[in-house]
Amino acid sequence: MPKIEVNEELFFRLAGKTWSDKEAFEQDLTVAKAELDEWDTSLPADSERTIKIELNDTNRPDLWSTAGLARQLRIYRTNNIPSYPFFASQKKKIAAPYRVVVERSVKEVRPWLAGFVAKGPAISDALLRDMIQTQEKLAWNFGRKRKGVSIGIYRISLIEWPVRYFGADPHKVSFVPLQETRRMTLSQILEEHPKGIEYASILKGKPIHPLLTDSKGRVLSYPPIINSADLGAVQVGDTEVFIEVTGSDYPSVALSSSIMACDLADMGFEIKNVQVDYEYDTLFGSSIVFPYYFQGEISVSIEEANKLLGSGLDVAQAIDALTRMGLCAYSEDGRTIRVAPPEYRNDFLHPVDIVEDIMIGHGLENFPPERPRDFTIGRLTPIERFSRKAKSIMVGLGYQEMIYNYLGSGKDYAEKMQIPASALVKIANPMTENYEYVRNSPLPGLLQTESVSSKASYPHRTFEVGKVALKDVDANYGIVTRQYIGFLTSHAQADYNEIASHVAALMYFLGKEYTVREASDPRFVPGRQVEVLAGGKRAGVFGEVHPAVLEAFGIMMPCAAGELDLDMLIEE
Amino acid sequence: MIDQSAARALHPLEVKILLAFKVGDTIDSALVREKLGFREGQDQQAFSWLMAKGVLEEADRQTEVFYELTPLGQEWLEKGTPIRRIFSLMKEIGPMSLPDIAQALGFDQKTVGSAFGSLSKEGVCAMDEARRAILTKSALPQPLLDIEALLKAAAANAGSLPEKSLTQQQKALMAQIAKKRGAQDAPFRIAERAKVLFRLTSLAEDYRQAVTALGMTGEEFGAITPDMLEKGTWKLGTFRPYNVQIPPARVIPGRRNPYVEFLDSVKDKLVSLGFEEFDGNMVETEFWNSDALFMPQFHSARDIHDVYYIDEPTHAKFIEEPHLSRVAAAHENGGNTGSRGWQYQFDRDFTRRLILRSQGTVLSARQLPKAKVPGKYFGIVRCFRYDRVDATHLSDFYQTEGIVLGEDVNLRTLLGFLEMFAVEVAGAKEVKYVPGYFPFTEPSIEVHIKHPVLGWFELGGSGIFRPEVTRSLGIDVPVLAWGIGIDRMALMALGLNDLRELFSPDLESVRMRRSQYKIQ
Repeated sequence: MPKIEVNEELFFRLAGKTWSDKEAFEQDLTVAKAELDEWDTSLPADSERTIKIELNDTNRPDLWSTAGLARQLRIYRTNNIPSYPFFASQKKKIAAPYRVVVERSVKEVRPWLAGFVAKGPAISDALLRDMIQTQEKLAWNFGRKRKGVSIGIYRISLIEWPVRYFGADPHKVSFVPLQETRRMTLSQILEEHPKGIEYASILKGKPIHPLLTDSKGRVLSYPPIINSADLGAVQVGDTEVFIEVTGSDYPSVALSSSIMACDLADMGFEIKNVQVDYEYDTLFGSSIVFPYYFQGEISVSIEEANKLLGSGLDVAQAIDALTRMGLCAYSEDGRTIRVAPPEYRNDFLHPVDIVEDIMIGHGLENFPPERPRDFTIGRLTPIERFSRKAKSIMVGLGYQEMIYNYLGSGKDYAEKMQIPASALVKIANPMTENYEYVRNSPLPGLLQTESVSSKASYPHRTFEVGKVALKDVDANYGIVTRQYIGFLTSHAQADYNEIASHVAALMYFLGKEYTVREASDPRFVPGRQVEVLAGGKRAGVFGEVHPAVLEAFGIMMPCAAGELDLDMLIEE
Repeated sequence: MIDQSAARALHPLEVKILLAFKVGDTIDSALVREKLGFREGQDQQAFSWLMAKGVLEEADRQTEVFYELTPLGQEWLEKGTPIRRIFSLMKEIGPMSLPDIAQALGFDQKTVGSAFGSLSKEGVCAMDEARRAILTKSALPQPLLDIEALLKAAAANAGSLPEKSLTQQQKALMAQIAKKRGAQDAPFRIAERAKVLFRLTSLAEDYRQAVTALGMTGEEFGAITPDMLEKGTWKLGTFRPYNVQIPPARVIPGRRNPYVEFLDSVKDKLVSLGFEEFDGNMVETEFWNSDALFMPQFHSARDIHDVYYIDEPTHAKFIEEPHLSRVAAAHENGGNTGSRGWQYQFDRDFTRRLILRSQGTVLSARQLPKAKVPGKYFGIVRCFRYDRVDATHLSDFYQTEGIVLGEDVNLRTLLGFLEMFAVEVAGAKEVKYVPGYFPFTEPSIEVHIKHPVLGWFELGGSGIFRPEVTRSLGIDVPVLAWGIGIDRMALMALGLNDLRELFSPDLESVRMRRSQYKIQ
């Protein structure tokens, strides 16, 4: 979930309110599903003080910026929906003073572009940091680490229009990227520049790479990797910038551009349009003026909303609630509420998404909780009830119940157990080799206890009931989960006879008939181990733990142990 | 004055001494054994107890020296001393080299060497030109015979000879063959034993009066035996009271694990609220883990660094229909769910990818196609996350999840449920709700509770399943979905502050761990 740091002074100014009480601030943040993360009010309340805020809604990238979050709080309090007249739409044509040409050559690699120009007060240090933060949050979280969306900001004074967006040969084209002083080819940047290395995977294997230049052929940037060191270097004090968004998903690209345009407009910038002309067709046509309003209306009936909310709101109340959320809503028939999403939002997939905004807008505290009336019968699963029976018998036999993690190392689960690692379910992308395998038995856990508990007074009798993962080629997943009981006794006289007696008692009280057959499990001593057969099927194994296993775990006390498949026993 | 409980706590052996002697009397082991019939050991026990109470004081102490037979001495006694055995062997066989003697008798060279040295010194033995030992006399020397006499005398006196019983000549001989330390290679060990004489102090009179007042005789019954019950002899006396203030010995019982018991208590609570339990596979597909929950396949939470992928096999053979087609349609364009969908090409290969279940909500999704309406279901299941393990993160841990299906469920009944969980499961006094975000619910609610100890914290997340989730799986009524985080409550209930401790392999800490939660 995105976390942003906002300049307190700027944020309060944009929100139109000054908070001093943390609890009240936290409460107000809830309408944006935001949480206060850090606000050190012991620092001097000057222009440098910041607030860290976490945003929970991954479908609302408009909230991941100082201006965007402040806007939501401001609208909720004032009921005033801001207007952004610089948006073009299918119905509303605007003549744009700037132009970008998108050439056919870039279609296969990174086809979509949007952009606009912002002119305003000299960019301050705080504002520049905020713009970079917004750019990063949109590209990283919403743009899936620049794959779906990346954003470039340029000093307009150096650009000769129109700007060209096209596909270039990564081995031939070169320029000086940010944080460098020498010219580098695109492929060199991917191999040597830190940003190139970080994002190389996005362009891996592509014969043609995206490039943005001005009409004189000077490079603006190499999307989505890096800007050029001259045209692409925005500084404190700049007053006019070109902002461009490229990516693989056009609605996301267009929305990111809209969000940045609305943010800058809120901060007093004049937004100038950019016309993007394609040599191929797009979702929005082949010539589009940005910022572009592309969202369509969505509607919900008041009955549907009230059914989901358990409420009795009338249409006026619902529209009022939606207005507080910044949504232009109206009804022509007094039943159906139609909503035009704001320019900076595109998270209405289904009518229920409007219903949630009605809920927040109306105030969650205005929906009194109600006890559900439906009568249902509660019950545990049969395997849970059977397992509990087994546990109480084991406790009666003097065993201590244990519980272990299910992930572990190949060393503990296979090597020390004298079994091949291929018998275990392995994780393809483990974080460390300590958690690389899923266990196939509770015994490694019980033996781990022995290896760390030699100082605990003997006898040790331990058991665990839990899941194991077993390979099974016949199963759809090739792997099945089973409920096992594992048990172990350890003391100077621990032997086959003791564990056999305990298994007999357990099975008798579980009401399960069984026979035993000599087994050859490498974890146990040959000739002192058996398989348990219930209804003719192998339901487990027990015996004296092999000294090689004990040695591998560093255990100096004899152990007898066993495991039973409770899922199998319950069926027999 | 001695109070009754102190008098009652006296052992019968102490009582007998107190009753048999008076203040100022001096007593020792021999006396109490003779007069009171104490067995060996009982006298010393009684003396030490009474000393500790100040009833006895030491009147005199004399140290006596004893010579005790060692295992080697015992061996000499049984098989003969090395000198005698060498002497007998040579007498039988004639001249022999020292190594031959050592081999014949199983001695080491050193033993044979020193025995030969003693014999030559006494003129009983000599070495011939062929470096063989030969006998020069036919009788053993007197000192050896004296040693053998001492061995026999010690054996006859329970293996121990008091120094005062020896003649001057015997003492001189003993000085050569007895050792105080490292006596394993000597036939006798020198032991010192203190002989102590005790005197009864004035306290003895106080105790005696108290004992007499209680009618104690020191003949009271100790343990109740089957024999006493059978013969009825218990009727003939009284029972010696025990000191009930002595801490009892530790026993180690068979026991449930307190963390599992805590989880069970939550399960029982949910069952009592009408929920039916569900369970499932640890290994799941991307389909059930995320796709069926309408999380787009490009969602940032579905990154390679968020879930564990299975190495082999990598994919399920198939995904059940009609679920696959319906879920795919919901993602692509909304299908029959009333949604516009995520507008992308659903990847039917990726959806079969096998992973370790990362959220319990998988089971809620799996339950939907077979759920009853109305119905309530829950599960407390192990989930797996790509996290660095530390005090607040585990690679595998429990999640508590559930759903409620019904024609009449809505936001307000959801809040009603959350309130019920907060009060019934978490014991909360204050509850608040805030809008939340989960990819599969809309609206979504977080419930926060004020815990008496932890303060405000998020108890869980919940919401009404998106129609894209429910309709794709064949459910047309609203479904409440909830998950509650109980780890923090578990830690507090068990007095722990590190999640790893919940799964501790350390036997002693698990044995001693107690639940501190109140039964509600």
